[in-house]
Amino acid sequence: MEKLLVSVQQAINELRIDDIRGLVQQCLDENIAPVDIIEQGISKGLELVGRQFEDGTYFLADLVMAGEVVKEAMPLIDAQLDPGQVNKKGKVILATVQGDIHEIGKNIVGMLLSANGFEVVDLGVDVSPEKIMTALKETGARFVGLSALLTTMVGSIKEIVDSIKEAGLKDTVKVVIGGACTSERLKEEMGADAYGETAVQAVTIFNKFSAQN
Amino acid sequence: MNPNKRIINTFEGKPVDRVPTFCAMVEDRTFNEVLGSPPVSQEKILTNPLTRFVLDRWGKKVSKNLFQTELNRAFEKRIKAQVELGFDSLWAILDETFTVTDHQTMVRFSGSVYKIEPDGYGNMTYMYSGPGIKTREDFESWPYWPNADDLAHNSYTFFKKMVTKYGDRSCLFGQASAYGIHESLLWAVGFEKMPIWIMKEKDLVKRYIETCEEICFKTNMAMIDAGIPVIIQTDDLAFKSGPLMNPKLIDELFGPSYQRIIKAVHDRGVKYVFHSCGDNTLLFDTIIKWGVDGMHAYETTSNVDIYREKEIHGDQATIIGGVGVDYLLTDRSTDEEIVKEVKRLIKSLGPGGRFIIAPVHSLSSIPAQKLRVMLQAVYEYGNYPISIN
Repeated sequence: MEKLLVSVQQAINELRIDDIRGLVQQCLDENIAPVDIIEQGISKGLELVGRQFEDGTYFLADLVMAGEVVKEAMPLIDAQLDPGQVNKKGKVILATVQGDIHEIGKNIVGMLLSANGFEVVDLGVDVSPEKIMTALKETGARFVGLSALLTTMVGSIKEIVDSIKEAGLKDTVKVVIGGACTSERLKEEMGADAYGETAVQAVTIFNKFSAQN
Repeated sequence: MNPNKRIINTFEGKPVDRVPTFCAMVEDRTFNEVLGSPPVSQEKILTNPLTRFVLDRWGKKVSKNLFQTELNRAFEKRIKAQVELGFDSLWAILDETFTVTDHQTMVRFSGSVYKIEPDGYGNMTYMYSGPGIKTREDFESWPYWPNADDLAHNSYTFFKKMVTKYGDRSCLFGQASAYGIHESLLWAVGFEKMPIWIMKEKDLVKRYIETCEEICFKTNMAMIDAGIPVIIQTDDLAFKSGPLMNPKLIDELFGPSYQRIIKAVHDRGVKYVFHSCGDNTLLFDTIIKWGVDGMHAYETTSNVDIYREKEIHGDQATIIGGVGVDYLLTDRSTDEEIVKEVKRLIKSLGPGGRFIIAPVHSLSSIPAQKLRVMLQAVYEYGNYPISIN
């Protein structure tokens, strides 16, 4: 069992998209629980990819490719998975801010968060502060990830942060920003809680917030 | 010293009288502030129900005549505004890559799709909305590829006029309907799928690269025939903390094309500048190896360290940039902050030459007044020998 799960980890770490379905199918044929395939195989494989990204061996395209490898495997697992079996670290609302329709970075963060046990509510691009507030109320999420590429659109971040304050949710909802035009300075300026420079860092930040809850 | 000599001398590592300036293009808000706003805003024209009806119904048909003619006027306005602001050199672009398909959509001939959006200042801009080529069949049947000779002819006509009108007042860095080979592929198939295309569709990727190379080559030669002294190529190879792909792979896939393109430009006695967004630190050796004369590739919101690059590569290629557009050149900064940063850049990067101070990017939010403050600071503190305490 362990050997097969290690093979899944390796296939993801080595970005072997053509091998992953066969390996996951072997795991299922050996009656390995889907939740173990996710937690011991896929998540661990993505962790290895994340480490290689952080130490400079892998690049953004490799992170994306790892996501594609995982996407190949997930339909097989999802078909046999009882959703209640998976430990969730919390709900994260992800959005590209109003006026901006760039989504590559947001999608990579979403993919990594899902693989790390978060429930991702992706509102898409060009999302108004009102839509984010509605989603917060409807889902009860305590984490918000905002992506912005365009400097012209950063005002939206402040609007969202202010709306969260006005709704009395500032102490319970954490806002993390990322994207080409964002920075520590912008985080301070806009009143967000954290700034994630890369997708891997964003996951680390949400993990930290989740552990504090 | 005239601007052209100041710029060319800088590329060649020869003495100049002061740190030269480059404008990384201006968008509509900025050029309207310099030249005056049109009586009716673009937003009003393009959101008018009649315009929408025409574009929805006959977008493709009117695209080349009405839309492109209007765009070309805007490209000239961009150049004129940069000249009037007083930059020594500027980014002169002619972009004939788009076809309007309806009132909110444009398609780039190289395979990508864009949404037409208001820019918040009464003008219209566009944003990438996704790939146009999703399958092998899409690739084979993509209907928008242009005739490269037609593009070259149009480029010659446009740039001949621009060189005649503005070429003695500012050194024109020309870019004509040719976007970067890497970024075009990325936009065409989408970043999420690009690694799979590179891995599994090698023949198509090769053909794609060859097509882009031909367009770059022919439009470059046309601009040179028109008298353009510097070719500028944009190709975003990085994001804010590093290269998008493994630098070795970037070199293997795109290096041979760029080396041929740059050699052809140099053979005509013209300089070649490469623009790339993001943190290109791990790519500078590669880009320099391709043969560039200068790089506009030091985005201030990325992790690239322009000062360290001056130490490492300052004698191999001219550094262009330094002034941030995320804060400094926005309505949010103060004039004093701009002057302080310009002084810091000149003091550190000016000595030894091979430095052209410039905004790190174009952006629709840049106020013309902030560019003027930047330029005044360069005129005041940028004279050689540099003497800033």
